[in-house]
Amino acid sequence: MKALLTSLRMIVIAAVLCIFLFPVYWTVTMAFKPAEEWTPTGGKTYWVPDHPTFDNFRRIFGGTPGGSDSFLVSTPINATDSIVTSLVTSIVGTLLALAVGTFAAYGISRYRAGGKMLGFSILQLRMFPPIAVIIPVLFLWTYLHLFDTRLGLILIYGAVTFPFVVWLMKSFFDEVPREISEAAIVDGCSQFGAFRKSVLPLVKGGLATTALFVFILNWSDFLIALVLAGNNVVTAPVFLSQITSAATGEEFGSRAALGVILITPPMLLSILIQKHLVRGLTFGAIKR
Amino acid sequence: MEITTDTTTQAGDSLQAGGVPTAPMHPHRHISRLMILPGIVLLLLLVLFPVVMEIYISLTTWTPTTGSQWYLAYRNWTWFGNYWDGLTSPSFITAAVRTIVMTVAATGVEFLLGFGLALLFLEKFIGRGVATVLFLIPMMIVPAVSGFVFLLLLRTDGPLNTAISAIVPGTFEARWLTDPTLAPVAVTLVDIWQWTPLMFLILLAGLMAVPEDQIQAADILGASWFQKLRHVVLPIVKPIILIALIIRGMEAFKIFDAAWLLTQGGPGEASSTISVKLYREAFQNSQWSYVAALAIVVMIFVSLAASQAIKPLERQQERGA
Repeated sequence: MKALLTSLRMIVIAAVLCIFLFPVYWTVTMAFKPAEEWTPTGGKTYWVPDHPTFDNFRRIFGGTPGGSDSFLVSTPINATDSIVTSLVTSIVGTLLALAVGTFAAYGISRYRAGGKMLGFSILQLRMFPPIAVIIPVLFLWTYLHLFDTRLGLILIYGAVTFPFVVWLMKSFFDEVPREISEAAIVDGCSQFGAFRKSVLPLVKGGLATTALFVFILNWSDFLIALVLAGNNVVTAPVFLSQITSAATGEEFGSRAALGVILITPPMLLSILIQKHLVRGLTFGAIKR
Repeated sequence: MEITTDTTTQAGDSLQAGGVPTAPMHPHRHISRLMILPGIVLLLLLVLFPVVMEIYISLTTWTPTTGSQWYLAYRNWTWFGNYWDGLTSPSFITAAVRTIVMTVAATGVEFLLGFGLALLFLEKFIGRGVATVLFLIPMMIVPAVSGFVFLLLLRTDGPLNTAISAIVPGTFEARWLTDPTLAPVAVTLVDIWQWTPLMFLILLAGLMAVPEDQIQAADILGASWFQKLRHVVLPIVKPIILIALIIRGMEAFKIFDAAWLLTQGGPGEASSTISVKLYREAFQNSQWSYVAALAIVVMIFVSLAASQAIKPLERQQERGA
């Protein structure tokens, strides 16, 4: 009876796992399928690629295999540009949020700066639908000539992920005993020196985790880049949604190829932050 | 000597830290203000100013096509005309109700699936670690990619219908993306696929933390599996369940990417959520001041909900679970 239950449990887990991983499988295999296999032909669905090929990857990076397949997108850029834009804006945006947010988090955690209200209103910002906040930013950005620039995206990414940094870093700072910074002050450090020399090294791991989290958030953004850029500055997720071709219509394979490139960094990074995944995704509320 | 008094103040303050909020301490007021200053500036610049601007524009009938700069919008003053239009517009009300229904449905299904899975994972088995990691993959998928792949999966001739056809008699040809009743389901499905793993992960962490001895005590008393769940496990896990539901509900309410990439809110407005509705009004109909008014309404609503939702989150962070 016990053995039967155990094997039943394993079967259920395996089945659910297969269902949940199928979309990922479909993206990856689609990236290696030639155009004829993208959609069912003559009622045959290509569950595995019959003739795997790298054509899709070659095509998004500018090469035209066979020559006849003209590759068209609504923007004068290619996948390399979009990936570079995504990388630059995500990374610099992350650094900005981290720099500003870490100080604020320490201020709130250690000195209770701003009382209860500050932490509250900071978190509240993350609850607003981005579209509701982003539209006035669009006016502002147009006015300041930041619309459709990398700098514009960096600033907004920094601002949007700032609340996340504050709450996550606050949860890490809360774990550092006050005695540590007090001891440093007794030893003659200034308040800031105590923060830099004795507290910051203790939350190194937390800082790295927060950085990776914020990077993933920025890297995953679609809406902000769609609204605040999209002509000259195109991030990879927006580019992905714009890829179409004059010759074949829907470029499923090429889009999947870019998709595979897009999902790889977050998946690899998530292994590094696995220990703190729950904490990060609950804004530091659950600490394991 | 000064340092000694200093430390005493801090010790006293840290004692109070868990309970009553204390005013910033005198000796450190300076540095603490300095530390939160950049954050405040960032918030003022990128949140407060745009919101004030949004309120201003929402009281006018200004659009970029008016030909004047936004700060001249007062020439088209209309007071609460846009708010009235929005709150009496059936399509906005419908989108709002639909968003709430989708949020509740997505969060509910995610909770049930996640909790069920977490229970299955509670007892050790070979490959549990690997299986847990594999389950995390969906939430790491960039939403633009998940929207795209569900577009492929949910095609009428796509793998989902083909797979269902293989099980049920006859050919199964649901028009997931073009049928007005199925389109919102399709959008919700993406959210469920992507975020059930988060629910699972949070709940698993919560369940694993239930003290072993309490379960053993219940065993000795002859409690059944269900009784243990109901009377021992659930009361302990309740705060964590609450947090999981709040965080998921909060995020699901914002849903845009999947809805936009799958159906663009269509067919017609059948799967349009609040975010999609605002986007379409702004960028397809250029109703800027109207959108500003709707955005303010949504923000007020969210703020009210958030002021309640935030309490358990704060409590949990203080408790330091």
